[in-house]
Amino acid sequence: MFRRIWSLVVKEFIHLSNDWWLPAFMLIGGASELLLVGWGTSRPVQNLPLMVLDQNRSAASRQLIVSLENTGTFRTAQQVNDMASITAAMDRGQVTAAVVIPPDFSRQMDSASGQPGLFVILNGAESTPALAAQRALQGLASTIDERIVLRRLNLDSEQFSGFNPSLRVWFNENLSEALYTTPAELGLMLEFTVLLFAALAFSRERELGTLEQLLVMPFSSLEIMIGKAIPVVIVGFTDFLLMLAMIHFAFSVPVRGSLPLLLVLAFGYLLVELAKGMVISVISRTQHQAFLLVMLVGMTDFMFTGYAAPVEGMPPALQFFANFVPAHHWLEILRGILLKGTGLDVLWPHVLALMGLGLVIGIFSWRFVRRALD
Amino acid sequence: MDEKPCIVIHQLTRDFKKTRAVDGLDVSIPSGELFGLVGPDGAGKTTTLRLLAGLLDITEGEAEILGFDLRTQAEAIKPHVGYMAQQFSLYAELSVLENLRFFAELFDVPRADLAQRAARLLDFAGLSDFKERRAAHLSGGMQKKLALACTLVHQPEILLLDEPTTGVDPISRREFWDILTELHIQGVTILVSTPYMDEADRCSRVGLMFAGRLVRCDTPRRIRETLEGEMIEVQAADWQAAHKRIDGLPGVREVQTYGESLHILVDDGQKRLPEIERALQEANIDLRSIRVAPARMEEAFISLIRKMEAG
Amino acid sequence: MSVRHIWAVTRKEINHIFRDRSTLILVLFTPTLVLLLMAYALTVEIKHVPLAVLDYDQSQASRTFVRQITAGQDVDLYAYARDMDEITSLLMRGQVKAALVISSGFAADLQSMKGLPVQIIIDGTEPESGNFAVQHIAQSAEQFVNTALAGQLRSAGISAQSLQPLDMRIQTWFNPDLKPRNDIIPGLISMVLGFPALSVALTLAHEREHGTLEQLLATPISRTGLLLGKIIPYIGVGLLNVILIPALAIAWFHISFNGSFALFFGLSAIFLFAVLSMGMVVGVLMRTQAAALALSFLVIFFPGFFMTGIFFPLASMPEEMRLESLSLPGTHYAIITRGIFLPGVGMDVLWPYAVMLAVLGVAFTALAALFFRKKLG
Repeated sequence: MFRRIWSLVVKEFIHLSNDWWLPAFMLIGGASELLLVGWGTSRPVQNLPLMVLDQNRSAASRQLIVSLENTGTFRTAQQVNDMASITAAMDRGQVTAAVVIPPDFSRQMDSASGQPGLFVILNGAESTPALAAQRALQGLASTIDERIVLRRLNLDSEQFSGFNPSLRVWFNENLSEALYTTPAELGLMLEFTVLLFAALAFSRERELGTLEQLLVMPFSSLEIMIGKAIPVVIVGFTDFLLMLAMIHFAFSVPVRGSLPLLLVLAFGYLLVELAKGMVISVISRTQHQAFLLVMLVGMTDFMFTGYAAPVEGMPPALQFFANFVPAHHWLEILRGILLKGTGLDVLWPHVLALMGLGLVIGIFSWRFVRRALD
Repeated sequence: MDEKPCIVIHQLTRDFKKTRAVDGLDVSIPSGELFGLVGPDGAGKTTTLRLLAGLLDITEGEAEILGFDLRTQAEAIKPHVGYMAQQFSLYAELSVLENLRFFAELFDVPRADLAQRAARLLDFAGLSDFKERRAAHLSGGMQKKLALACTLVHQPEILLLDEPTTGVDPISRREFWDILTELHIQGVTILVSTPYMDEADRCSRVGLMFAGRLVRCDTPRRIRETLEGEMIEVQAADWQAAHKRIDGLPGVREVQTYGESLHILVDDGQKRLPEIERALQEANIDLRSIRVAPARMEEAFISLIRKMEAG
Repeated sequence: MSVRHIWAVTRKEINHIFRDRSTLILVLFTPTLVLLLMAYALTVEIKHVPLAVLDYDQSQASRTFVRQITAGQDVDLYAYARDMDEITSLLMRGQVKAALVISSGFAADLQSMKGLPVQIIIDGTEPESGNFAVQHIAQSAEQFVNTALAGQLRSAGISAQSLQPLDMRIQTWFNPDLKPRNDIIPGLISMVLGFPALSVALTLAHEREHGTLEQLLATPISRTGLLLGKIIPYIGVGLLNVILIPALAIAWFHISFNGSFALFFGLSAIFLFAVLSMGMVVGVLMRTQAAALALSFLVIFFPGFFMTGIFFPLASMPEEMRLESLSLPGTHYAIITRGIFLPGVGMDVLWPYAVMLAVLGVAFTALAALFFRKKLG
């Protein structure tokens, strides 16, 4: 039996070497795409365009403008002379936030009980930068508040620690965006790669009519399945190793937990996605169909990886459903081992879930393939 | 028949990455000729046809079709040529008529003539009753006939057909060649490649290709005649033993096997027949029949190939 | 270039698409379904962030503080921890996304106006939730301090406002509640409307794999004619989506559409031309459908998702990458879509992007025609 499987695997690899674009794309394309995307998305939101209408033109207002730029969120402020410029820029989407400093700003700042005012306009057309701008502005506001209060109440800055809670970030001390975006992106790329590759396994032969040739050979359906699965697993796992190495060296994503454990679990996850891909490949009549189904399934899974939004915020029904998505558990495992350094003792529910899902999908997959091939 | 050369090929060469598929081909095909291209697999027949159809770049040499230079004017030739690929795939989800119409449109068949021409071609091909049927649901023979119809729809002066009858049942094959003969009579220049020797026999001239070269180019009769000597056909119960026994007998040039009979090429049929008969009797090999038979293209061909392979 | 030739190829493609029912349904509905799924995923409002509390002070003040924080739906009290080990464990397991540690001098420091000795720990692997909790707690802290110290401040003659003297008024234009859905959904719409490009990438490779390309190349059809003939049906599919998908999104998600639909339709057609020709370039370069799929996935789908400024603002991308983004039709179309949906701007603002799309479309078509030779091998 193993010899037969081996001959099938050899045949698959010969096919692959004729059409070497496919695995090349999967490997190199996947890793470089991750590099690119990681590079582009690992910066915190910064460099946002800001407009300032300074109606005060005092030392105080100039100081404020410098403080705004120093938040790191905004780039050098563009100074304008009237509201019309702000309105035009907002309409064109050229500016994320605009700050209007009223004429009495410095007077209010200096007086003992004055209330310096600021009028801020946010461009809600792009919520991500707008929210970041809002956060930065509110942060700046509390800093200014503190400074004013210290001065007015003659409080000792040593004594007065401020009424703002201090913040500590665990697992990601620098709040490096890359640390939480790249593992999720890795997960996504890996899933799509394996699914795509697996989904093409049978649908391609079916479409081109070569499946019949396979069926008349003396292979059992299990042998055929394993024969087709092995190249996918090899390419997929290599892809994983490549991408893992890449995010580690390029983005300094640590591996705080056990690397061997991660590799074993990665392999297991691969098998689960492989099984899913196999099911897709036998229910599709053409490669086109297989591709569209992979898109659909992949995007659905993506929803539950917590990449875009935390799963806790979803309606309870969807949260429950998330448990049946292998990628959800895989991302928890990935983040856990890489960033939190957790081990099997903490991750076992997810591992168990993954195994369970793998078993169910695997059985389904085998049944489907067997029915299709016999 | 017009004696003006229609297709002129001079030192035509085509290289692929490691192989030279067509090697210095030299032939001139006059207008209205039915030229057969034969040769073993990999001889370069398909490549030659593809080169002439303008589908591949020429590596070396020249070719001219109807006065157009194939290197620089390939696109201008296409309206005059009907090319049928070896794996002519029709569009499976389109009907017979839709497939035909598609090619008619691409070949700028005048709209006024389209319907009539389509009807006539389908009739010609025996497909009138299957107009609306999806191409995927046609038998192999019908598909090839539809392919031919699509190739003829623009009434080309030249036909380039790559193994058009391979995989087709014998009756359809004969019908197909009846159509080709009819076209030949109408004056269409036809260059057809075929693995079937009986078809090669029906051509005006036959070109034998081997390893990219044109080894022989002549009328079928003269090719048969080049086979020196005559042929004796032997049918024996144990043909393998008979083969061993006869090989090497004086005057025996070659022994070819055909199923269970042996075709023996000898220098003099009348003289060697009784000698062979005696040799077999002495070896106690049971003889079913033995006679002198006319050599066919088949034998000439195999003999030539063997000589080529021997170097 | 013969119109008759182009039309013949277009008609054939349309028949091909329509006669394969299951693929047709997938092609038509995948963009819609992906939109719905992603819209849900991305516009989920962060709520019920689980919080653990380690209260070393155990005073009435601290308890009030915690109650104030966890009132409402934003942050939920998951559990009171007994020590840091428990906090560590909860965070490691991901059972809480943030933890609040209240030092033992909480009430005292508050009374003497020395400060607010609390520490928030967030799970850095999911900073969305963490940051949200921080903001919420900071706001609650502000209110808490004001209320708690109100009496003291009054007796000292200080108004509550004195603690937050800066009067910063924030107004959000185009999207008053700053709900992500109002701008992310138009961005998603612009992304899924580009999906037909993936199918276009396949069509040439499909003919190659099925052997029909050889015959096609032997006909007099021009290269550009063949490519155009193949793109046109997908422009049709795309335009159909342009009508259906925004209508669906508006009805389902109640987002606003403030601009002119006629303008949107026209600009969408230019976008389709650009993105489909991009797909065609991929299709011309690859010999097999599988390779075309893989390449279009890498070059069209993934960048369309990450690099078009839909989810990650262009402004924060490194300079070199921003240039690359600009060569993607999706980037310009996302700006157009957002502009028409939210501020409802017109051609006077959007024309540079329309021009960019047209330029990209012509460039890609030229590239495709350049790489596509009517030769085998």
